[in-house]
Amino acid sequence: MQDTAKTPTPLATRAILRASGLRKTFKMGESSLEILKHVDLVVRSGEFLAIEGRSGSGKSTLMYLLGALDLADSGSIEYDGQDFSHMSSAERSRLRNRHFGFVFQFYHLLPELNVLENTLLAPMIELSWLRFHARKAELRARAADVLAQLGMGHRMKHRPRQLSGGERQRVAIARALMNSPHVLFADEPTGNLDSETGRQIMDVLEKLHQNHGQTILMVTHDRTLASDADRVLLLTDGRLVGEIK
Amino acid sequence: MYKLLLILKYLRKRRIAWVSLAAVMLCTTMVLVVISVMGGWLRMFRDSYHAVSGDVIIQGTMLGFPHYEEMIRRIQALPDVKAAAPVIRSFGLVNIANQKRLGLQVFGYPPNIGQVNGFADSLFRMKGANEVSFGLIPERRYYSPPGFDPRGKDPNTWDGMIVGTGVIGLRKDREGNIINRHTDTIYNAFVVLTVMPMSPDRTSFDIADKTLRFYWIVDDSRTKLFPYDSNTVYVPFAALQKDLLMDARGGEPARTNEVQIALKAGADLHAAMGKIRQIAFEVTAQRGHDERFSYEVKTWEQTHGDFLAAVEHEKVLVTFLFGIISVVAIFLIFCIFYMIVVEKTRDIGVIKSVGATSSGVAGVFLGYGLAIGIVGSGLGLLAGWLIVDNINWLHEQLGKTMGIEVWKPEFYVFDSIPNTMNPREVAVIVIIAIVSSILGALVPAIRAARMHPAEAIRWE
Repeated sequence: MQDTAKTPTPLATRAILRASGLRKTFKMGESSLEILKHVDLVVRSGEFLAIEGRSGSGKSTLMYLLGALDLADSGSIEYDGQDFSHMSSAERSRLRNRHFGFVFQFYHLLPELNVLENTLLAPMIELSWLRFHARKAELRARAADVLAQLGMGHRMKHRPRQLSGGERQRVAIARALMNSPHVLFADEPTGNLDSETGRQIMDVLEKLHQNHGQTILMVTHDRTLASDADRVLLLTDGRLVGEIK
Repeated sequence: MYKLLLILKYLRKRRIAWVSLAAVMLCTTMVLVVISVMGGWLRMFRDSYHAVSGDVIIQGTMLGFPHYEEMIRRIQALPDVKAAAPVIRSFGLVNIANQKRLGLQVFGYPPNIGQVNGFADSLFRMKGANEVSFGLIPERRYYSPPGFDPRGKDPNTWDGMIVGTGVIGLRKDREGNIINRHTDTIYNAFVVLTVMPMSPDRTSFDIADKTLRFYWIVDDSRTKLFPYDSNTVYVPFAALQKDLLMDARGGEPARTNEVQIALKAGADLHAAMGKIRQIAFEVTAQRGHDERFSYEVKTWEQTHGDFLAAVEHEKVLVTFLFGIISVVAIFLIFCIFYMIVVEKTRDIGVIKSVGATSSGVAGVFLGYGLAIGIVGSGLGLLAGWLIVDNINWLHEQLGKTMGIEVWKPEFYVFDSIPNTMNPREVAVIVIIAIVSSILGALVPAIRAARMHPAEAIRWE
């Protein structure tokens, strides 16, 4: 979790992510499909922003662009004043590792690794073998703490196939939080869960936001879930058409 | 750190990759066994024939050549020469204790033959002796066998004969130790040797002048060369020379049909051969050249050059063919790894989303290929060593259970299959196996590296 003071939701202050004039087109055989059409967006530090849209509206694509998982065809995205499009692939990788965390609809845990190893993935990628081993005890303790706070402290040696959907998503959240990301990206985090389990996951995200000031960008098709956010933007046919909340 | 963890996890848990591992292991084993046997055969051949030849040979015809004593005297004065000895090679009819009658090679060796070639090392009683003795065994008393006419010769004055182990049917265990060496039986065996000198006009063997001589067996020789061990007996040089009418008589100088020369360690073989040839030609020129007694001066390699070259070519060819088969393993690894990378597309996307670079992801799969290569070649080395080390026992079992005899000594010259590994060859084969495994993983690793994280995460 972020080492910030546990205060009620701070008022959104400085822009941490700024997107201008984003366009993204996908080639589908001989034809091409424009998914995003001139999107402007600001994500402020400490806010919980939801982007709501129907299936095929481009919300996941927008999230991937904002999370430096993909590059826009035109437009710019700045993180803390730095434009993604001027970064190399390696620099974007480093950005994702140190400043962003991702939670996906289908959890995407690595099946060969246990819960603890999945959680430690970000520092294992960041650190060399020697440096990881030098900090191994500290990192394992932190991972155990994060997992415990998410209610998974007793399942650290289990493999993903031994966990329920909700448990896997908790582990995915723990993995995303290990390197204390500035922005947590959540793509339909409850899309593969039943309503009760989904509600539990949303509670986790809300707690992260309220108690730790975590900046969260969530994409969802569910208005009920989106209403948990501080701000909800509506994405329709590749355009942000309005702010619902 | 994540690369090492994923490589080890994949190595243990991705069972389909064990097929690649098995392929690397089998190819490594196959090539190791083939190269060890072929290479060992070549090495044994070179070493063994070198051991029975000396370093340089003056080789004449069956009629021999004269003035060899002067040649030897002058050759031994050369700084690079350790020793020289005359040798007579002929053939004869051998009657062993009235139980075996064979046509065999007969070699006449002088006592100092052990200084020139490896004959002394092949002996049982006189192993490694500087001077090989054909004298009767001192503590024994010899008696004429019942019903045998020694033609007036006291059995205790007969010469000693050394026989090849195969001539008297000595058998060996897996380690090469003779297992039916019954001392008393062998050294009680008398031998009647009949030789025929060549007629002075070199057109025929002179049956009228055939010589019969009686011997006692005083030792046996195991050179590990089948043509020698199963087809040769060794007698004193002087006795054979006399029986073949090659000693000095009627004004004619004594002849031998071979002079073997051993060089000192570190001597230049071809340079020494040149000097020895010069001396031989000078002696012949000074004493008068007789066309009947021609000879050649060769190194031991040239003497056996054709056969050595054929064996070397065979080794290269067989290695090449098995190497091509091993290329199949590269394609197998490629297919399996490609399949794994496709299957792992989403995982690759996730790893990249958490911050792994393209080169890092490529490193996972190249490292995986390296791990397969190391483990596979390691297991292949172990299996290869076990097979090579026990190959003669395995061959024996094959013969007992299935009646198959792959290694026939009369064809392959040696009485046992070579069973040693050359460390340098082993290292080369293992390195090639590891590199091949990495090569097989290369294209899949590049594919994994080039995967777009967003597309990979969406992949179904």
